[in-house]
Amino acid sequence: MTKLPGLLATAAILAGTAVAGANAQETIKIGVTQPLTGAFAASGNYVAQGAKIAEDEINKAGGVLGKKIQLLIEDNKSNPTEAVSTVEKLITKDKVPVLIGAWSSTLTLAVMPKLEEYKVPMVVETSSSGKITTSGNPYIFRISPTSAMEAKAFQPLVKKMGLKKASFLYTNNDFGIGSANEYSNMLKANGVAIGSMETMDPKATDFSAQLAKIKASGSDSLFVTTAVEQLTLILKQAKEQQVNVRIISCGGSNSPDQLIEQAGDAANGSFHTTFFPPWFPEVTKNPDVSKRYMDEWKKRGHNVGGLTEGYRGFDGVYVAVAGIKAAGKAEPEAIRAALWGVDVKGVYGDIHFTKQGPAGKESGQNVPVVYLVAIENGKVVKTPF
Amino acid sequence: MSRYLGWLLVAFMAVFPLWLNDFYLLHILITTGIFIIAAMSLNLLLGYTGQLSLGHVAFFGIGAYTSALVSLGFQVHLLPDFTIGLDPKPVWFAILTAVLIAGLTGYAIGKLSFRVRGAYFVIVSISFAEVVRLVAVNWVELTQGPMALNNIPALRLSLGFFELSFLRKPAFYLLVLGTIVVCYVLIARLVNSRAGRAMIALRENESLATSIGIDVTRYLVLATVVSAAIAGMAGALYAHYIRIVDPDIFLFIYTVTMVIMVVTGGKGTLAGPVVGGALFGFVPEILRGMEIQPEIQWIIYGVLMVLVVYFLPRGIVPAIEDYFSRRKRSPPEESAAAAEPQK
Amino acid sequence: MDELSQHLLNAIILGGTYALLGIGLTLIFGIMRVVNFTHGELYAFGAYCMYALIMLLHVNFFLALVLAVALGMLLGAAIEMLLLNRLRGADIDTTMLVMIGAWIVMQNTEQYVWSGVALSINSPFPNDPLVLGPLSVSWNRVYVFVVATALIGATYYLVNRTRLGKAMRATFQDRDTAALMGIRIDRIHTATFALGSGLAAAAGALLGPVFVVAPTMGDLAASKAFAIVILGGLGNITGATLGGFILAFVEEIGAGYISSGYRDAMGFLLIILILLMRPTGLFAQRERIG
Repeated sequence: MTKLPGLLATAAILAGTAVAGANAQETIKIGVTQPLTGAFAASGNYVAQGAKIAEDEINKAGGVLGKKIQLLIEDNKSNPTEAVSTVEKLITKDKVPVLIGAWSSTLTLAVMPKLEEYKVPMVVETSSSGKITTSGNPYIFRISPTSAMEAKAFQPLVKKMGLKKASFLYTNNDFGIGSANEYSNMLKANGVAIGSMETMDPKATDFSAQLAKIKASGSDSLFVTTAVEQLTLILKQAKEQQVNVRIISCGGSNSPDQLIEQAGDAANGSFHTTFFPPWFPEVTKNPDVSKRYMDEWKKRGHNVGGLTEGYRGFDGVYVAVAGIKAAGKAEPEAIRAALWGVDVKGVYGDIHFTKQGPAGKESGQNVPVVYLVAIENGKVVKTPF
Repeated sequence: MSRYLGWLLVAFMAVFPLWLNDFYLLHILITTGIFIIAAMSLNLLLGYTGQLSLGHVAFFGIGAYTSALVSLGFQVHLLPDFTIGLDPKPVWFAILTAVLIAGLTGYAIGKLSFRVRGAYFVIVSISFAEVVRLVAVNWVELTQGPMALNNIPALRLSLGFFELSFLRKPAFYLLVLGTIVVCYVLIARLVNSRAGRAMIALRENESLATSIGIDVTRYLVLATVVSAAIAGMAGALYAHYIRIVDPDIFLFIYTVTMVIMVVTGGKGTLAGPVVGGALFGFVPEILRGMEIQPEIQWIIYGVLMVLVVYFLPRGIVPAIEDYFSRRKRSPPEESAAAAEPQK
Repeated sequence: MDELSQHLLNAIILGGTYALLGIGLTLIFGIMRVVNFTHGELYAFGAYCMYALIMLLHVNFFLALVLAVALGMLLGAAIEMLLLNRLRGADIDTTMLVMIGAWIVMQNTEQYVWSGVALSINSPFPNDPLVLGPLSVSWNRVYVFVVATALIGATYYLVNRTRLGKAMRATFQDRDTAALMGIRIDRIHTATFALGSGLAAAAGALLGPVFVVAPTMGDLAASKAFAIVILGGLGNITGATLGGFILAFVEEIGAGYISSGYRDAMGFLLIILILLMRPTGLFAQRERIG
């Protein structure tokens, strides 16, 4: 019977050291909210994979502020309410000092009030709606371009491609609507007639009705804004219904390699905007960073089609870490202030933030480069312009 | 004895979590509480009248959207040059409007749907919820579609210069707890009244009930109205807590969640939905803590539901009650238990 | 005019698969009185089988279809024997709840195994469509239509000209008398569920390569199947066939001329209208609805 106190004491000491040991391995947590399931699952998973590559690279190099970083990746299920839930959990339960997310513009817009409520900054890695950086939320730091920037970059190509009449097919959320608005305004300002503007539900798989209307409109070009799953189906169905227009996809979440793989020759003759061309990384601003990211991606056996999206997560993590380093501590307010001064050489280019939005409550916006590529004969090529 | 136990539990729940001051725990309790309210409302239809309404989430969602829209204000074009609009109203007004509208919808649906029964009724109820969902998705001018209604204001009550803001969790938690108690008492009074006994009669044997003069449709519609109104209340609370509403709120999976709560807890009992709601509110968090993937969580729910239907066909609460009454085993107790048909 | 013809052509093609879904469910719903929530999951199962067989195991495209249908029937039989058998005398609510539980388990298993990302199945058909004047239709969809029609024909034959079919119809008309006449009700139920599930799997296996394969694809399919069953009348195979085509037409015309967003709502609106006005369906047989 006298053994019992001894046993208990030993157990307590062991437990204590285990807890203390766990504490000694404290990491700096970075919250990541991405759509790992649902309508945007393909892209969300790629971004998460890219983020993990950066995590491992940084930890191998010693981490930041003497500690390793740990990505807490939550699935927001491509749903705005769920996105809010993930952010709530990451901030109140896991107490992350900085976030990366939330992929779709609708999801990002949904979580923005929470960022302001809890005063935690977020690095926006993909969303393109202008509203995100112009609503006066000082906790937003976006590294991806806005639809307006994209449309502006496309402008010189209007004459070169000889566009006369264009139609639009886009998802009926902030991403699609914002993109269609910006592009149609730009086209109108450059003398191009607008055919029909058709919307689709992000989860739809049958576009025969919309395509029939577009065919009847007599347009020579079709601007499509959606994620890669729907883009594949649109390319196939356009071919099936003999809708002979020049298809141009916007938004940069189009994974041309995946399109070639899944749409086959229906993908030939289409054009795609992207913010990172993995087929010719030498033209990017920081080709060494691009190559490092691409090599590690291929080494891990990830789908090559995801290269065009994974870098968003990759750069996002590097930016967040740069903020932590410059702040000197893993505190949200310090990180927020420090992010204004970071300059990261990423796959997106040279990343730094300029002020955008109402005075006194500006958000940070980066200005990356925009590329247009084409698919010919089952391969991705530079456009001949 | 059990009555005091109930009030003791309420008092405990009012004090303990606030004392802990763990915001994440409060968050879980609040969302669970909202679902319990919705489950209680479903129990009225499912448990007491015996109608398997699988479109219940429609009332919840209608309550959420109505409250959100009234508090945000809106403007829609019914015709190209004819708009109707509403300026933003105070949140308490929005919530009351939501309850009213949900109740009215319940009335309309009740009158229309109860022409059919059984499996057909189930299908009508599901279809109704889906149509409402598709309207929410497509009538973008009103509901913002998939872009969601954002920045819904929080509840603020002001009487003179005394202002009570329900933005902070502790206050909202007490609000939800209070609503649960109020709804529980309301449903208990209804169920134990003449109307309630009529509902139970028609659950047990509809043709027999009709033959003794019970107006079946009237009581079914009454049950639907009350049920829809309470569900609408839950939806409104949800809208002003999460402060964002999107069409996915109408997804069938949420109806399924409520059904699971009611069935495993014990349909036709007052405490059933509370137990079921608590169980299925906390189980995901426990599983999340164990780092189990969400799909596995759902598989566990599904299996749990099937098992409960097989082995505890009346639910957990009745099974516990049976257990306790069997332990007592004395004749006066047995006849007392037999004389309480609605427990 | 061209646009209208294209819509009509699309509707005919789509109608075939809808009919398959509807027939499968009407057999189960009609004969067994089970609100089969797993019907959509069998549809998805058929599609996932095709993916696994064609893309992972490199089985021949056409053989894969046969295998997928066979597997669907086996799964259906398993569900019936494991879950429904015990509930033979139970009320309809209990059965429905068990089916819901099964549906949750199946869908999440699929999601767990395959992840939520939509999958593409390669088909051996050329991407260039078959062009008939101003109309065009992809070869893939022509194939789907042909197979669907063949399966519908086969089901007809099975139900109307074989002994098994006769037994099924007898059970549907009057279960107790059928039992008294020596029909093994257990076996009929299992066979019916298996048949219905096989048809759902066939629909999924046919449409999988046309669209994409995702874990939630079954939900929409199931709701359309219910719409068709209500349209055509419970247990009425002819009604279900016609109902499938009618739904396809309503969807195509509605999506083409009214609003593409509300396409999927057409089915539900149809259900509600019919149930409220003619609960026995458009092609009525004597039916108790209560």
